[in-house]
Amino acid sequence: MFEARTRSARVVLQIITTLLIIPFLFPLIVMVQGSLAGQGWGNYRAVFAVGAVPTFFRNSIIIAGSTIIIVYVLTMLAAFGFSKLYIRGKEIYFWMLLVALTLPEVVLLTPLFATTLQLGVYDTYWAVVLPLAALQIPFTVLLARNFVDGIPDQLLDAARVDGARMTQAFRYVILPMTRPIAATIVVLTLLAAWNNYLLPLVLIQDPAKQTVTLLPQFFVSQFSNDQTKVLASAVITAIPAILVYLLLQRFFERGLAAGAIK
Amino acid sequence: MTSITSPETAGPKRPPSAHAAATHTRRRGNRPSGLPWILPAYVFVVGLLYYCIIETGYLSTLDWDGTSPDPVSVGAQNYVDIFNDPVFWKAIRNTIEFLVVTFTVQTALGFVLAALLHSKIKLAGIYKVIIFTPVIIAAATMAPVFRQLFAADGQLNWTLEHIGLGFLAQPWLAQSSTALPAVMAITVWQFTGLTFVLYYAAMGQIDPEILEAARMDGAGNIRTLLAIIWPSVRGTTVALGMLSVIGALKTFDVPYLVTLGGPNYATEFLGTYIYRISIPSAHVGYGAALSVMLLILALVGSLAVAVRANRERRSHV
Repeated sequence: MFEARTRSARVVLQIITTLLIIPFLFPLIVMVQGSLAGQGWGNYRAVFAVGAVPTFFRNSIIIAGSTIIIVYVLTMLAAFGFSKLYIRGKEIYFWMLLVALTLPEVVLLTPLFATTLQLGVYDTYWAVVLPLAALQIPFTVLLARNFVDGIPDQLLDAARVDGARMTQAFRYVILPMTRPIAATIVVLTLLAAWNNYLLPLVLIQDPAKQTVTLLPQFFVSQFSNDQTKVLASAVITAIPAILVYLLLQRFFERGLAAGAIK
Repeated sequence: MTSITSPETAGPKRPPSAHAAATHTRRRGNRPSGLPWILPAYVFVVGLLYYCIIETGYLSTLDWDGTSPDPVSVGAQNYVDIFNDPVFWKAIRNTIEFLVVTFTVQTALGFVLAALLHSKIKLAGIYKVIIFTPVIIAAATMAPVFRQLFAADGQLNWTLEHIGLGFLAQPWLAQSSTALPAVMAITVWQFTGLTFVLYYAAMGQIDPEILEAARMDGAGNIRTLLAIIWPSVRGTTVALGMLSVIGALKTFDVPYLVTLGGPNYATEFLGTYIYRISIPSAHVGYGAALSVMLLILALVGSLAVAVRANRERRSHV
């Protein structure tokens, strides 16, 4: 967008950009450097020696995985229904879903707490998975419906003429075509589930079921505020997210660009 | 709402909705009802979320600690209390200040960075990853880092002293005047990657010939940026505005984990206040009334932005 014709102009542009980038890098450097202060790698050994890290990771994987499955299945079915089938009063149903987009999750805390206690799911994975999925679905349905709207009706009609039932047409015509948006939905849901802090904080008590976002606090009490080990646990928590991001960079950026509304 | 979906994700060209509606009406005869298809998602979302909202509405009329068997109904008393609650108003003021500052800074930074990285910069790939990485790391993970970074003996003050700005060093999180700016700075650090990615995608859509024409007419870099590029990414800016309003009202993780809403309510937000009132203090009824207020603000806020965006779009066509 900027045009630098001379060499010195190019250098100036490069310097300005670099100066603007440094503040973004700074906290990450502080994190890594802090985690290696004092005992160096010994901090990491101490964190792993507690044995909680794999448990917290496993829990986050289970919660994120279940949320993704629920969100994906319900979203695809609903997007197809909203986009390609006849429903009386369809737009009213759709708007009722969209209203939930603006919902701050803190509003749900007390009813969720009370209800999960009553139903006996408090302190289980479900207590976190179900609200996570419910908060995610309005948005993913919006994304997926827009996408399915772009698939020509003729394709569906052709399948129907060939004698395919609606379920078959969905399975063999629509689903394969929705792969790009499905990838986006999976990535967005993964991020939302993996990074959520409030729901597991309130709805899960048992340290054996807690998620990675609660790890730093767990170590604050574990090491009575030995900052270096807390930071080591923060690095350990951040690394998988960063790795997944680097591997799926395209989907992340695309998904979040589409997710701007949320 | 759909206008900000980037073309890549929106998939094949979407037919105008009027046309789509007509197609549906014409074909309704030979299509089975879609109701069973949307029902699972619908029951799930509406069942769970709307149930919670209604339950919150009911709880907000009670004086209840969350465990006693027969809570006392107090009618609208909780709402009356809210209007006389200085912490509530403090939280509202903090939210507004937070919204104005973070939106302005994030928008400006994201826009400028997107323009810069569209300008044949070296290491652009690495720079993009650095700007975006904060978006994907949980606030909860970064909280201990920022607590240390902003501490009186932390790295920020250390850096200030070593670049000759030692007089600026202060205990950032421990004093009311600087705690909220620190929370804002953390949020900007976290979310500029998102505004950057959005602007970056939007700028990729600008026809290079328009830029070329502007240059031929003698427009400089700054002029092109303000007169051509800024107006053409207007849709993104509006979407970011809506995102910021909702985001500001949802703010919880950063102030809760970094400053605990303090010192002296300097970083109290509705989210942190509701949490503290409802869970640790167990004033469930009052917390529910605060939740209802937050819900109304979120609905009104996003509606206001949506209506404005709609009007602008119409006046531009």
